[in-house]
Amino acid sequence: MRTTRLRATTAATAAIAVVLGSGLTACSGGPAQPANLITMTTDSCGGSWHVAGPGWHTFQIRNGNDVGGEIDLTNPATGGIYAEIAGFGPQTTTPMTIDLGSGKYAFRCLFQDADPMLGTTVTIAGHATGTPAQQGTPFNDLVQPAKAYQKYIEGGLTTLLKLVTPLDNDIQAGNLAAARRDWLPAHLQYQRLGAAYDAFGDFDDEVDGRADALGVTSPKWTGFYRLEYGLWHGQPAAELKPVAATLKSDVSRLLAGWPHQEIELIDLGLRTHEILENALQFQLSGHDDYGSGTTLATTLANVDGTRELLSVLRPVLVPRYPGLPGVYTWLDRLQAGLLKQRSGTGQWAPVSRLSTTARQQLDADCGQVLQELDPIPTSTEPRN
Amino acid sequence: MTDQQAPPSGQVPGQDPSPPEPGDPGRGRRSFLRGVVSGVAGGIVAGGAAGAAGGYAYRAGQPADPSVAANEAIVTGQLPAVPFHGRYQAGILPKPQRQTAVVSFDVTAQSRAELTALLQTITDRARFLTAGGSPQLVGVSGPPSDSGVLGPQVVPDGLTVTAGVGSTLFDDRYGLAALKPARLTPMRTFPNDNLDPAQTGGDLVIQFSAGTADTVMHALRDVARHTRGGMQVNWRMDGFSSPPRPTGTVGRNFLGFMDGISNPDVTSATEMNKLVWVQRGAAGEPPWTAGGSYFVVRLIRMLVEFWDRVDILEQENMFGRRRDTGYPLDATGIFTPPDYSNDPTGEVIPLTAHIRVANPRTTATASSRILRRGYNYDRGIDEVGNLDMGLIFTCFQQDVKRQFEAVQTRLIDEPLVDYISPFGGGYFLALPGVTGPSDYFGRALLA
Repeated sequence: MRTTRLRATTAATAAIAVVLGSGLTACSGGPAQPANLITMTTDSCGGSWHVAGPGWHTFQIRNGNDVGGEIDLTNPATGGIYAEIAGFGPQTTTPMTIDLGSGKYAFRCLFQDADPMLGTTVTIAGHATGTPAQQGTPFNDLVQPAKAYQKYIEGGLTTLLKLVTPLDNDIQAGNLAAARRDWLPAHLQYQRLGAAYDAFGDFDDEVDGRADALGVTSPKWTGFYRLEYGLWHGQPAAELKPVAATLKSDVSRLLAGWPHQEIELIDLGLRTHEILENALQFQLSGHDDYGSGTTLATTLANVDGTRELLSVLRPVLVPRYPGLPGVYTWLDRLQAGLLKQRSGTGQWAPVSRLSTTARQQLDADCGQVLQELDPIPTSTEPRN
Repeated sequence: MTDQQAPPSGQVPGQDPSPPEPGDPGRGRRSFLRGVVSGVAGGIVAGGAAGAAGGYAYRAGQPADPSVAANEAIVTGQLPAVPFHGRYQAGILPKPQRQTAVVSFDVTAQSRAELTALLQTITDRARFLTAGGSPQLVGVSGPPSDSGVLGPQVVPDGLTVTAGVGSTLFDDRYGLAALKPARLTPMRTFPNDNLDPAQTGGDLVIQFSAGTADTVMHALRDVARHTRGGMQVNWRMDGFSSPPRPTGTVGRNFLGFMDGISNPDVTSATEMNKLVWVQRGAAGEPPWTAGGSYFVVRLIRMLVEFWDRVDILEQENMFGRRRDTGYPLDATGIFTPPDYSNDPTGEVIPLTAHIRVANPRTTATASSRILRRGYNYDRGIDEVGNLDMGLIFTCFQQDVKRQFEAVQTRLIDEPLVDYISPFGGGYFLALPGVTGPSDYFGRALLA
């Protein structure tokens, strides 16, 4: 689980747009500095600087201010970011290493409580390719995806409650065979919402917590996995009734409280790989199999959840991540591999019964999906 | 744990045409590639010239014998680069390095084209990792391209990456059945083996060896990161070689005996062509295998607690050597060959002693000699709390049946079997070398 790092405030977004939009070159002048030492002050974002040519350069960037901030090396024409120093402490010096290709470069300074500044544009001639510039994702571009995702979760929670209700009814009626049938659709529906783990807060532990820290006999262990354990380990209905009732009530409260929850914009991109990181760690490994042998079904639900996130982020991703088609190639492959492990009657093969070859194929496909996803968090990180 | 005739040092004289400059921060990936290109040209010339002197002498840049400088390089993890390009793979002839990982993979690529791409990727990564240099800078377009565990500059640290193929790669998946190396089979089970299928075999093997464990681990992590969809680790064993104690002798295994005292002479091209390299036109061998070498890996547990309860005379009789000095029981020099002609009934060196059975030193058995490159492994405990340690026995040869299997067949039921338990490993063909920047592992097989 990651946290949002310090960034200048949202209010700065508009301001920077003005600076870039008007094509201003700010803060030229100032005394020439040693080639690799570049000082940022309140009135000069690096001053004038030059390099001998393309190739690897390490700038020593000095924050001459009394406040912290962030320095980006940008392409002033496109706003693309080549390199950044975030969390840049006052009166400190930090190296910035970059492979400079041919093109235009300008520093951008974002200091606390100050308007963004764009430094002198430096042009490097020739046809060398260097570190690529990454187009930043403005906060505003993530608002629609976040809203769409919020809606998806709200609909998903409504469906979840509809699926948990018969499960609870089965158990209250003592019909455990029916409960074993109704458990899986409800659990998969919850797992499809994986990206909202963080937003669900403590509810996630209550609704889908593992026994690891508590032990399987702990009365504090609640939720889907607790029910799975009981249903597939011959526990009597009387023991499971309170667990089922609590699950239903937790889901109801989750749904009722959802409109007041907020999705962190940075989480959208992070979750695109975190859902399947968890699937690899807990589902494909078989760790989270508490008896039903359905962790491959869970993995498939996690694939669905990942696809939903990619779908809402698509407008942001298409212009920023040329490798996006590769994500889908491997998601499709993983999905097809998972479906091979479901019988005609809908029974899922437990991971523990898979052949080595089948497991290796699923692990390989999931591993490659994760590799393909790994640029997404940085390329969808909200930036001013 | 067989015993072979050998020169004293097993030294591989090498030259390092273009040692990298790991400390140079301006050294970019592209400039590194240029460096390799020019280095290769030099390498090929040198290799051609060295043909008479062994044909491999231009590779293998590790320091051969302990010296102050070499020890310093080992301690600081700054061994020079071992040139990657060459007719033979660079990790085969040199003496064992300090650290190794033998990793078996199963290929998950879905087509021959994907298999080719996989081997190209492995080659590209090996080319970079063995030379060292600056990892690609991705700026803010993604996570760092390198794990960073070797610092901002990847140091070569003597890294060698030795790749081989197992018999299962030649099943019906990739249409390679007709190209299977003639002497490649699944690993045979010998009478005292306890093979665990989960730690045996594999479509590919890659052995990473270097001066320090972090270099080895970094290379494995890098290769795995770039090949997730194409292959999965099947089994893995990390190992190390012990320094010679006392100085000037040979490193010991965990039974306390020196291991690898005698070996074929790797400085003799004639001997290597007779014993190690698959020859062009060898009977039944597809042409692409020329320059490869059959690579046998045996994971051998040593029951050290049991062994430590055995008295020294019995221990020495089982090996046929003195534990402290490494001398054959009939000699007073570590590298003095035992003379069995004077001891036909085994009064001095028992007829069942390991060194005597493994290498009877007769004309008839000379062609069964193998190039041993073993490492010790040490990995925790077993079910009863005994220490799980032993030997990663690896050897290279021209013909598994004529060499390793012949030696191992002679060793069936040797007294030592009570104290060891072979539980895994596999037979592979170490591929011919990657000859230049446009070549890749297995090109002749797949092209």
